[in-house]
Amino acid sequence: MFSKVLVANRGEIALRIIRSCKELGIKTVAVYSEADRRSLPALLADEAICIGPPRASDSYLNIPNIISAAEITKAEAIHPGYGFLAENAKFAEICENSGFVFIGPPPDIIRLMGDKNRARQTMKKAGLPVVPGSDIVLEDISEAKKIAQKIGYPVIIKAAAGGGGKGMRICRTSADLEEMFPMAQNEAKSAFGDPSLYIEKYITGAHHIEIQVIGDQKDQVIVFGERECSAQRKYQKIIEESPSPFIDERIRRKMMKAAQEAAEKIHYQSLGTFEFLVDEKKRFYFMEANTRVQVEHPITEMVYGINLIKAQIRAAAGEKVGFPIGLEMRGQAIECRINAEDPETFIPSPGKIDFLVFPGGEGIRVDSAAYAGWEIPPYYDSLIAKIIAYAPSRALAIAKMRAALETTTIVGIKTNIPLLLNILSSTDFINGNYTTQFVEKFLNHKPPVETQ
Amino acid sequence: MTQKNGKPEDPGQESPFKSKIDYEEVKKLIALLEEKNLTEFELEVEGFKIKLSRQLSAPVQPSTLVFSGVRSAGNPEVSPSVQEQPGTPVPLEDKNIHYITSPMVGTFYRAPSPSSPPFVEIGDTVKKGQTLCIIEAMKLMNEIESDISGIVTDVLVENGKPVEYGQRLFAVKAGA
Repeated sequence: MFSKVLVANRGEIALRIIRSCKELGIKTVAVYSEADRRSLPALLADEAICIGPPRASDSYLNIPNIISAAEITKAEAIHPGYGFLAENAKFAEICENSGFVFIGPPPDIIRLMGDKNRARQTMKKAGLPVVPGSDIVLEDISEAKKIAQKIGYPVIIKAAAGGGGKGMRICRTSADLEEMFPMAQNEAKSAFGDPSLYIEKYITGAHHIEIQVIGDQKDQVIVFGERECSAQRKYQKIIEESPSPFIDERIRRKMMKAAQEAAEKIHYQSLGTFEFLVDEKKRFYFMEANTRVQVEHPITEMVYGINLIKAQIRAAAGEKVGFPIGLEMRGQAIECRINAEDPETFIPSPGKIDFLVFPGGEGIRVDSAAYAGWEIPPYYDSLIAKIIAYAPSRALAIAKMRAALETTTIVGIKTNIPLLLNILSSTDFINGNYTTQFVEKFLNHKPPVETQ
Repeated sequence: MTQKNGKPEDPGQESPFKSKIDYEEVKKLIALLEEKNLTEFELEVEGFKIKLSRQLSAPVQPSTLVFSGVRSAGNPEVSPSVQEQPGTPVPLEDKNIHYITSPMVGTFYRAPSPSSPPFVEIGDTVKKGQTLCIIEAMKLMNEIESDISGIVTDVLVENGKPVEYGQRLFAVKAGA
């Protein structure tokens, strides 16, 4: 096992990794930007090194400074968290070449999954069903039109280097495609430096379901039951739950088996997530795989009673990923993402938290690096806390989450809590009857948000 | 996270001067100080002593002016960088003292090799662009140059010690 790990991230995930390391008896090094000098990870890690000015490109993405910080603190491994450098194959390579263990998959797996089209083709060969679409990267509009004609409208344009909704466009007609294609190309180029696009059939009324896997260096892959992530706005997840109210045991077993076989075939290592679209008829299609820990990993941890970060660190240290045999999902876990943003306009709301009371009690978990007096910097994403409710049944978990959100008090900044409460009270959500279109529809017909 | 010294004591209540002198009178004294352009004033009456002093040149601490007040809810990526920057050279005691800070994370070396003499010593005159030290980062030796001409008044890091981004390395008194 490692004696010291450097955490190359910030916010709640940095703190989550630091806590997990402490449990394992591993010393921690936090790296932080000048804007995060008084952040909890910087204050609570055994050592903290400033790696640059506030802008992420100069600090949390500054590979030389991060590697130097690992060198001067004599860390043995680097945990990238999610976002920033987590899915940067070059960074993983530099870590290894500099003598540090990168806590994540090997660079070639990151590279494979980072190319969304290549990942699609590889997974198709590995036996996973994929959404009908282009098998090659599209150079121009006429090719795109040909394929769209073949698979039928509506289609969705995606960036090969993509993620986070950038470069994505839904086209219902060939006129749409003609208009959107160059726009998506430009967007992909500016967001990822790569204009490559591919198209897929756009599946309406689908669920976004993902399967967590973890592999060790001895080619053992363990797979976990699904997370339901259909409650999204502009491809940003807001509420996740496990298990999904839509997936039955038969489909669950099928999806888990498919993900396991695919992961084994590519010798997957470390934590990873296979994302699927599941249509109304419960047919599932592979979308993409994320080669990092996910924001919503706690709901899987709650229903299985495990710590995925510890397992990930153990796997990176070359240990066997061992969980009790016959581990099964129990109960229901729901996660709400608390964002520092206006609940109506979604404009980010950075600033000082004057007063803060998080919920607590049996079955409530809060993953957050926020504290009263902390000034949320305007440079990074707006996630300030993840509140997770765990209960024996879905109805009880929803009731628990509502009570938790109602007793959460955050003064000084705006948060999306009013919106989350509204969603949790909607009939469709309570009945477990929602797809990826749900939040958008809900916002269009919502009652006015109550202001606190 | 703990905040030292709370709010200033409310001067209106329970005067520490008992009946000898009250808040209004102190205010008058302060006004007198300003009016007469005095820097110090001392008064002693029947076992009670008050001493007032003020600085003429810097009525407000410069560091308190650097607060950003950035509350604008815009795109986080394009927000102006008017954050408080503790690492950057902020003249404190002496306005002529300039701090050379580390532009990277690494190991600080005062000399080009273990056997050579340091690039600079305290008291040396340096020119803008002159090498002051080396910071080793990722097996590369990076020469750090002075961004100002002047006299080195302090070396703030020991040879061979790790430095973080923005850490003060040298104090240089600006001047020819």
